Amino acid sequence: MYVWIWRHLPGPTAVRIAESLVLFLLVVALLFFVVFPWLEPYLPFDRAGV
Amino acid sequence: MSHTQIAEVPPTRKRTGGDTVRTVVRGVGQLLMTLGIVVLLFVVYEVYVTDLFGQQKQAEATTEVDQVWASSDVSATRTVVVDNPDQLVTDPRQRTPTYQPLTGEGFAKLYIPAFGADYVFTIVEGTDPDDLYIGPGHYSNTQLPGQEGNFAVAGHRVSKGSPFNDLGLLASCDAVVVETQDDWFVYRVLPMAEEVANWASTPRAHCDSVGVQTGSYDSVFGREITVPSDYAQVLPVPHTASADVPAGAQRLITLTTCHPQFSDAERMIIHGVLAKSYSKSAGFLPPELGES
Repeated sequence: MYVWIWRHLPGPTAVRIAESLVLFLLVVALLFFVVFPWLEPYLPFDRAGV
Repeated sequence: MSHTQIAEVPPTRKRTGGDTVRTVVRGVGQLLMTLGIVVLLFVVYEVYVTDLFGQQKQAEATTEVDQVWASSDVSATRTVVVDNPDQLVTDPRQRTPTYQPLTGEGFAKLYIPAFGADYVFTIVEGTDPDDLYIGPGHYSNTQLPGQEGNFAVAGHRVSKGSPFNDLGLLASCDAVVVETQDDWFVYRVLPMAEEVANWASTPRAHCDSVGVQTGSYDSVFGREITVPSDYAQVLPVPHTASADVPAGAQRLITLTTCHPQFSDAERMIIHGVLAKSYSKSAGFLPPELGES
């Protein structure tokens, strides 16, 4: 998967590294703002009420 | 680099069985590593990121309640010089709430001086996940601050601003101060179960209005660990399965949060009793806020 992504990123190595970083941050943002908020109510970590 | 070498493999070369196995094994390995990183990111999210979001929501709720209070006639007209806090002491029986809490909006502030002078949270109405993300939430079916019965509040222990992370550190007689539009209500934590036996014989600071509970309250202690389904903790008389406030009921506060830390298998419950109340006045802060 990662090899495939690396091969398909355009530009020289330095640019590809920057692009990888941006991709990684995009994924993190997707997790933090969309996936985790959706997932959280199903997990037994912080329900505080009785 | 190995990646570029792969790219330069002559296209004439045929894929062998070994290549397929290698691809599959590498794919599985990368998938497992990715999942591991996602799980770690979830921990970061839960413990740190939701704290940031929660603090933001809490700040907005605080600004709103400050505006409401600033515009309420009562606090604006009652500007008196206070030499002695006793001048403002009120009889809670004669104080009726003049506000109407709205779900998801702040209507009171919670101070716990034992956690530091900067410990203050705006309490919102309601205990749904959206409400508790903003700050400690009032169980809508329970009484309001200062009233007979039980003013019950839930709060997150870890995540979403973590308002109730330190409830385990509260000791008996510690002050839990609630500010509403017109009043200050000073509650004090009830005796702990293990202190009841020698309560009377041990001198304690700030304990004048706190005593060992008797009658229908005899199983109510300062701190209790219970199961998540124990709703009776927030009823007017805790542990008594009735939503009616009996005549002569005490004025209690109940704080609930998850237990143990980082889990919600159980609930930690703090019970306190109203010790004193003051009417609000510009520039006046209850002396109890200075306790540490």
